[in-house]
Amino acid sequence: MTVLLRRIRPEQFREFILLAVTIGLLLFFAAQIPNYFDPRSVNRLTTGLAITLVVAVGQVLVVLTRNIDLSVSSIVGLAAYMTGTLLTRDTTLSPFAAVLIAMAIGLTLGVVNGLIVAYGGVPAIIATLGTLALYRVILVEFSGAKTVTTADLPDWLNDVPSATIVTIAEYDLRLMVGVALVVVVLGLLILRYLPFGRRLYAIGSNPEAARNAGLPVKRDVFTAFVISGALSGLAGFMFLVRFGNITVTAAQGLELQVVAAVVVGGVAIFGGSGSMIGALLGVLLIEILQQSLLRWAGISEFVKDAILGLLILVAVTADTIILGRLREMWARVRRRDRAARQALTADEGGLAHGA
Amino acid sequence: MNVKTRRWMTGVACAGLLAANMVPAVLAQTPVSGEAVTAEPGQEVKMMLLPKFLGILPFDQANQGAEEAAAELGNPTPLDFVGPTAENSVAGQIEFVTNAPAGEYDVIMLSNNSGDQIVPAAVAAQEAGIPVVTWDSPIPTGEGESLFVAQVDFDETGQVMAEMARSILGEDGGQFAILSASPDAANQNAWIAAMETALEDPAFENLELLEIVYGDDQSEKSYEQALALISKHPDMELIMAPTSVGIVAAAQALQNEGLCEEIKVSGLGVPAEMLEYTQNGCAPEFALWSFVDLGYLTYYVSYLLATGAIEGVEGERFVAGRLGEYEITKDPTRPDVDALRVLMGPFTVYNIDNVEEAAG
Repeated sequence: MTVLLRRIRPEQFREFILLAVTIGLLLFFAAQIPNYFDPRSVNRLTTGLAITLVVAVGQVLVVLTRNIDLSVSSIVGLAAYMTGTLLTRDTTLSPFAAVLIAMAIGLTLGVVNGLIVAYGGVPAIIATLGTLALYRVILVEFSGAKTVTTADLPDWLNDVPSATIVTIAEYDLRLMVGVALVVVVLGLLILRYLPFGRRLYAIGSNPEAARNAGLPVKRDVFTAFVISGALSGLAGFMFLVRFGNITVTAAQGLELQVVAAVVVGGVAIFGGSGSMIGALLGVLLIEILQQSLLRWAGISEFVKDAILGLLILVAVTADTIILGRLREMWARVRRRDRAARQALTADEGGLAHGA
Repeated sequence: MNVKTRRWMTGVACAGLLAANMVPAVLAQTPVSGEAVTAEPGQEVKMMLLPKFLGILPFDQANQGAEEAAAELGNPTPLDFVGPTAENSVAGQIEFVTNAPAGEYDVIMLSNNSGDQIVPAAVAAQEAGIPVVTWDSPIPTGEGESLFVAQVDFDETGQVMAEMARSILGEDGGQFAILSASPDAANQNAWIAAMETALEDPAFENLELLEIVYGDDQSEKSYEQALALISKHPDMELIMAPTSVGIVAAAQALQNEGLCEEIKVSGLGVPAEMLEYTQNGCAPEFALWSFVDLGYLTYYVSYLLATGAIEGVEGERFVAGRLGEYEITKDPTRPDVDALRVLMGPFTVYNIDNVEEAAG
């Protein structure tokens, strides 16, 4: 244990814990639900992850800076609806153009968020709560209560949800999941290797110090919101592809799911700490919980939400307690090591004197 | 978050003129037993059309019908089409009804999604002199409700759903599940109960109802529920969704998963939204009534009630414009309570032969 503690920081343990909890849950549900690892079931479950995952990556960037983006669900809905409407009017629009349009819509809405928060100085939770409502109302007004229906959409859209990149023993890696994983990897690389990514940690850890150190705090926070918006736009396109029928309530409530996943994944809500892998595991955990509870026959419709809430609480609490213990142990080991080192140098010093 | 959409009637004056030209000066007649009351146009009535929530096609169609009636009757006060969002439906509806007296409304037209939780607010509205006319979905106990405009006979809905299930599953029958709206929805609950009663008939003995799940009339939730049903019940051959949101979500889920050969979808849906799924075989058969007519009829009844032309008692008869004559009766589908009903009808069952025409 001590050896392990010398090599690994407590935060890295968090990912192992999450992974263990996720695997534990999988085994539990596999025992409860027949055919749980059936390829078709697994394919459906993984496809369900993709949209949340893409939004979560953007959310991580924002939360790292000690901010939050609650407007993501309305951006997803608005991007899905507007892109859908455009596609029904002009069915010759290329898939590539459609994706770009959806991302551009999201990006524009992200710019609004970024301006209000980074340059307007409005607390993110208030600002994005406002735009959450505002973007949804724009959607309601824009739509005039009409629904985008699959029948009006170009045919290629119907083939996307089941499009598969590679199949291994009947387990598909579907295109949408592939796209989501690419986004995660890009996010991971940005956070780990780009100066911009490192600055996000600095800003979230101590905004004041970051500003004094001359970091472009406002610009970086703004950029984080813009990226979150653009990714929500991409998720909006994926939403359109998956559900086909888009009503004005599209994606409502997604923001809470994403924030829950990110927090369960160990991204600190007070900024400065967290990783992409953690967020990925958080999304995985929440989605597995939700989807499995739906499939669990032994349980009534009405207690499912309660169980989900309880499990999220347990996950976060357990994480905090275990992590707190680990931090103490880590600090103790470090103290002991340092004391040992100091004793050693003191001895050497004494010897030198003696000689 | 409450989204209040006000759609002011366009060209009120214009419509008024039109109505005056079209309808020869009809005077309100005192209700004589046996004779149908006709509305006197041009009276000022402030009316609220309150659907379960905003943003789906059926309610939009009901609003079209109500606007059509408003134009015919030449009501100078524009109709307020207001409603909550889907996830806030119950609390939002109660709020609208509670605030109706303050908004000086003369009548509320409510598609109730709040079960009996709406009763205190509805009773308060009635005490303030505002009749509460329910349409599409009633108040289960009938308390606080002046009368209910039923789209179809609710027992018949159960029968129609059972027959569609049998026609899709064939004589040898099979397993099916129900994907409903919210657990509080009075109309869906009544239809499902009626279907369960219908299933007791030996004619349907081969149909096995596995379970009832709820998608809360949200596309994503209904979609996930449909996928969960497929995973849970490998031998299930049909998903019956008595809700326009659930039926398309289930059909889309089956289409995306390429399962339309093995599992079918049926229930209640709007032809324009179902066209593709009927054509590709995912949903070979579904049913509905005209929501435009339902909105139209509801407006007429409410206008008559608010102007005092009818009192809303059993046995009264009235003329509802192009739809003809109707009678207020006791509601036979709610035998335990003292509730009144105006029955519209009929049902249309859609399949590959007639769906395209209906989708328009």
